[in-house]
Amino acid sequence: MCNALGIVNFPGSNVKVKGMSDYRPIAAFSFLGRYRMVDFPISNMTNSEIEEIQIYLKNRPRSVFSHVGTGRHYNINSKRGGISILYGENSPESEFYNTDIASFKANIRTIEKSNKDYVIIAPSHMLYSLNYDTVLKAHVESGADVSVVYKAVDNAKTHYHDCNTLLLNKQKGVLSIEKNRGNYKSRNISMDTYVLSKKLFVELIDEALKTSSLFWFTDILNEKCEELDIRGYQYRGYLAAITDLASFYEANMDLLNREVAEDLFKEEWPIYTRTNDSSPTKYTTDAKVRKCIISNGCCIEGEIENSVIGRGCIIKKGAVVKNSVICPNTIVGEGVYLNHVVVDKEVTISKVKNVQGMFEAPAYVRKGDRI
Amino acid sequence: MKNQMLAMILAGGRGTRLEALTKKVAKPAVYFGGKYRIIDFPLSNCANSGIDVVGVLTQYESILLNSYVAGGSHWGLDAKDSGVFVLPPREKDQTEFNVYRGTADAITQNIDFIDSYDPEYVLILSGDHIYKMNYAKMLAHHKENNADCTIAVLPVPIKEASRFGIMNTDETGRIVEFEEKPEHPKSNLASMGIYIFNWKLLRKMLNEDDKNPNSHHDFGKDIIPTLLNDGKRLFSWKFEGYWKDVGTISSLWEANMDLLYRAKELDLQDPNWKIYTQDKSAVPQYIGETGDIVNSFVDQGCMIDGKVDGSVIFTSVKIGKDAVVKDSVVLPEAQIGEGAKLNRVIVADGVKIAPNAVVGDPNSEEIQLIAKNVR
Repeated sequence: MCNALGIVNFPGSNVKVKGMSDYRPIAAFSFLGRYRMVDFPISNMTNSEIEEIQIYLKNRPRSVFSHVGTGRHYNINSKRGGISILYGENSPESEFYNTDIASFKANIRTIEKSNKDYVIIAPSHMLYSLNYDTVLKAHVESGADVSVVYKAVDNAKTHYHDCNTLLLNKQKGVLSIEKNRGNYKSRNISMDTYVLSKKLFVELIDEALKTSSLFWFTDILNEKCEELDIRGYQYRGYLAAITDLASFYEANMDLLNREVAEDLFKEEWPIYTRTNDSSPTKYTTDAKVRKCIISNGCCIEGEIENSVIGRGCIIKKGAVVKNSVICPNTIVGEGVYLNHVVVDKEVTISKVKNVQGMFEAPAYVRKGDRI
Repeated sequence: MKNQMLAMILAGGRGTRLEALTKKVAKPAVYFGGKYRIIDFPLSNCANSGIDVVGVLTQYESILLNSYVAGGSHWGLDAKDSGVFVLPPREKDQTEFNVYRGTADAITQNIDFIDSYDPEYVLILSGDHIYKMNYAKMLAHHKENNADCTIAVLPVPIKEASRFGIMNTDETGRIVEFEEKPEHPKSNLASMGIYIFNWKLLRKMLNEDDKNPNSHHDFGKDIIPTLLNDGKRLFSWKFEGYWKDVGTISSLWEANMDLLYRAKELDLQDPNWKIYTQDKSAVPQYIGETGDIVNSFVDQGCMIDGKVDGSVIFTSVKIGKDAVVKDSVVLPEAQIGEGAKLNRVIVADGVKIAPNAVVGDPNSEEIQLIAKNVR
């Protein structure tokens, strides 16, 4: 049992996935064909034996509600613990005011009611697998006020745009938190994952509100770098930050590489998701598949290479899908050619025979479109 | 809400002819169709037909079935007024502790369980048949006929009819005669072992049967003939669709192959009649650089680096580079080494086939069961 309340937070305005985020919060994004993004932080929490989990949402909660439900599929003891989905009850006058701090404040009673001594905050737009209980133990042992999980990367010029980065001293003390503008190769990317006592968390929420109505949790931490003992906790495994369509696409492509996938999907660390009761996938005599990830419930009659295919997709005869991410329940018609494309859910592509993007800028087909 | 019809699934069958597959589990728990167990079919049919309470009568090697079906959550049968209950033989006050002596006795020994729900009708099912059926339609038919008992029947080719229990009916579908494996069948309507009874009548019959020392305590041999003798209203309900009793290794193989070659009859992808099963946390299937899959059914969690052709591959199977799996059924978590060649086999769950091993024979009539690791 882990003595912490788990909080799955929503990302700030630095995260904007063109197209896809018009339909659902990032927590509900389909990922790797069968998961939704929120499965990763929740599974990390339940695997770490966190019993109480709160999921914060800004808007469009429907898809998260139906996916998370009672949370039983995440292995949560429904009597002792539980999962709750929360969002700011008062719709703000302007999107600017819709901060995580405002949302925490609106639900402060449910936070205070928890009998856990610590909180662990994790974002819904980052993919990694990490034992939070280990982080909590290290945090308690270090005597720090706040621990921030980060990964040291050397591709920050081209990746992790607008992510928070940590400026650390030699003792891993956080000197400041700033945005990655792509000016340096090597940076400590903050995983927006925090461990602190519940008491300090509640104090910081109030202090943030007193300082500025536009403050996010990261902002108040940055303000407090000198006053509080804020320290970095280094993570070394696979990390993907989904901040735009290109990074969403790239993370899916990354995981086609089996060694990378084994870094995220560990046998003793399962990633849970809601079952859809799909049958196994059927391949006809015309199927031609090479280097791809295919979910259940599909019918594959065409050719697929280096792609991720979601649940319940139909790839018709003569269709060619290359370097693409196809979200669930999409139909790719006869003779259609796709290369470097992200196709959202429930799309039918039949009349248009050729859709192509580029690796750095994949093409996007909207949810429910018929083209 | 009162439960109008309760279902009782007979799941005690040992299935000896399935060899090593039923060494540790009962026949209803045998794997089928890439991710299912056979008992998922009657249980999903119940859930989809609006039946809320299901008793599962177990006897032979029941531990796995107990943990598998108990609670009923895999099939959505876990709401307040519903449930799946595992019913092995038990010791009772003032009666001798006894195994289930026959299909009818299994119900007799659970009369108290059925009474506690006070149902109007009881549906008796077999836990080891593969088919999709709407029992609600069968019940409607039963009520329309004002029947005492309705038996689902399947038209079979007349030359095979002598292998089945055959129902001879009049033009209204009323059963006038029942013949077990007749030498000269008069009709081709085979009993599917699916019965709807009015509970009050069945309860009385079972109590009488219990006291009869000459009875086999079997539905087909004792209860149905007695009802006919008594002039009760027995009606047939004709089922047209896919139905299979997988009694042997080769019929189990054949049923899996039917998913590839008779997909229209047994459609597992129909969103309106899903077959539910235990959900396993597995990643989607990975097909590697050298992987190749044609004409096959493959489940999640698999890692395919070899060639798969005309086969059904279950959850989390690994198939190495240059391996060829043809016309075979590979059960969960089996591992096929690099360069191994498989033809016309069923590989049991968890079995490891070493690199370059050759298993099975493409020219053989027989289907081989591979239940032990192959070096």
